[in-house]
Amino acid sequence: MNQLDRLAEKMLRGFASRTSRRSVFSLLGGFLAGAATLPLLPVARGGEAEGTSPNDPSSGEESPQFSGNPQDPGDRTKCDYWRYCAVDGSLCSCYGGSVTACPPGTEMSPITWIGTCRNPADQHNYIISYNDCCGGVAWGRCACQNNQGDRPIVRPQTNNEVTWCFGTKSQSYTCTVALILGVALDQKK
Amino acid sequence: MRSLRAHRKSDRLPEALSIQPAGVDVHSPERAGAPRLTDNEGMNDMSTLVPVLMCAALTAGAAAAAAASAASFPNPLPPDPTLRVEKLPAKYPAGWAFLNYAGDRIELRNVGSDSREVKAELQARDSTSLLVSDKRPEIYTADTVWSRGVRGTRTDFITIYDSQTLDVTGEIVLPGAKRALITAMEGMFAFTDDQRLALVFNFTPTASVTVVDLVKRQPLGEIEIPGCMLVYPSGQRGFSTLCSSGTLLNVRLDAGGAVAGRTESKPFNQLDADPLFTASAALGGVRYFPSLHGRIQPIDMKSDDVQVLPDWPLVSADEKAANWRPSGWQLIASDDKKFLYVLMQADAEEGTYKDPAGEVWVFNPSTKTRVRRMRLVRPGSSIALTHGTDQLMLVQAGTRLDVYDPQGGALVRSLGLPGLHTRLQMEPVH
Repeated sequence: MNQLDRLAEKMLRGFASRTSRRSVFSLLGGFLAGAATLPLLPVARGGEAEGTSPNDPSSGEESPQFSGNPQDPGDRTKCDYWRYCAVDGSLCSCYGGSVTACPPGTEMSPITWIGTCRNPADQHNYIISYNDCCGGVAWGRCACQNNQGDRPIVRPQTNNEVTWCFGTKSQSYTCTVALILGVALDQKK
Repeated sequence: MRSLRAHRKSDRLPEALSIQPAGVDVHSPERAGAPRLTDNEGMNDMSTLVPVLMCAALTAGAAAAAAASAASFPNPLPPDPTLRVEKLPAKYPAGWAFLNYAGDRIELRNVGSDSREVKAELQARDSTSLLVSDKRPEIYTADTVWSRGVRGTRTDFITIYDSQTLDVTGEIVLPGAKRALITAMEGMFAFTDDQRLALVFNFTPTASVTVVDLVKRQPLGEIEIPGCMLVYPSGQRGFSTLCSSGTLLNVRLDAGGAVAGRTESKPFNQLDADPLFTASAALGGVRYFPSLHGRIQPIDMKSDDVQVLPDWPLVSADEKAANWRPSGWQLIASDDKKFLYVLMQADAEEGTYKDPAGEVWVFNPSTKTRVRRMRLVRPGSSIALTHGTDQLMLVQAGTRLDVYDPQGGALVRSLGLPGLHTRLQMEPVH
């Protein structure tokens, strides 16, 4: 067994000493180019064409982020996290920010729109401030379209289509955070 | 809705697929990083010998096939004629449509044929809105850029394109850096005064309208519309706008683009109970706005005396109980026969009013009755009809553009919308 190990080690070391990592990829690429290029490309494009969105945050493009607090449950990189019930945009949790912080290099707009979301853990309705982060790079990762309580733009303060980058140096949209402002009063029935 | 920039990394081939096999690169044997096979190395090492032999066998087979193919064509191809740039026809065929990808690009596409689809592309950066003139051979886009990509000095501007060459023949810089950044949608950019003037909606979040002279190619002034959103051309020279008090503000302009008069309707938009969508379809100068719960609100905008007409239901009592409601983005369209086409969703509830819809319902507004209903092959978010004798119904469904026969509802063809990340705003050519 030891002899076999030493033989394998010798062969691998010999191979490695004469071969750069790049050329290993070249070697593998040679096989892939010959065997897989033709079938792969149409299949990949066909999959996209059938509506598989590359932006779907549930596609695993970002590792999960949890609060650790059972009263604030859910993955903050997914559209179905409870605070995102009225988000129409990209989640800052996927760009180096968090559910309450903008990514480095961006600026948080002080002017915002608000929504009301129900926390599935404590069953309270919370007023959520959806502040946009502006002036950074946006490219479609973790894009969500949730419209709970959203209304047409005639009342812009309850509309999520507007780019809420006001009072910032750049009005170019990057992503959105979801801050708890407080508990909403229950409507009397 | 944000105008997210398209992610183009996925358009590239994986790096490994573009690299030549090691050891058989006869064209550049000295290339750095590509090990050569010599008598002294490699050939004695089984770890490289097997894959190299396999590569060589594959290459030899390909060479034999290439030689056989070459024998079939004894003469080489002739040189191509002088390089040229494609030109569009003076009048676009009726089966063409502009597809606005809302912050990425605007495509001119032939949706009426299975042949060549994409005819041209226009630049679009943020909430880009389009106007196509039928009075002059020009196309206009209102757009916003920053001097350093996502930062730097902001410029709002209208680009003027020649409609045949798509050469940029002019530009109008809009003052104040206040053009509304929402997404491509109805009400952002509109003609008035027989297409001499353009109206640009601003939101900072103070709402206003910039009036632009497209013939002289200069901005004329700005009109404050506090508490109101979007612009819909009305009368001979002017616009109407939907206000947060539930009213409609109507603004008349003089020849210089200044305010000549204002009127405001009584409140009619039930913003708490059943607000109107801001998307509309026009028939004979009357705009029809669906409501979230299934009414339709006509507003006669032909003359300067704008009239809010009585609303009527799109759904019966039973359909209302089953929560059939209008839904989507560009969710209503009209044809040339005076019918309205509305995207409708079953089992609608709070938060679904912008979701894709499963059916199209066709209404005759003169009789206020439904003419027919069509089930879509997949749920759609935006709808439009091409113009001309053989009209087609276009429905954007995810990253597909489904083309239907609007009479029988049969699917005619389906086109891909690669790179569509947000909403699609469609404008078939006249």
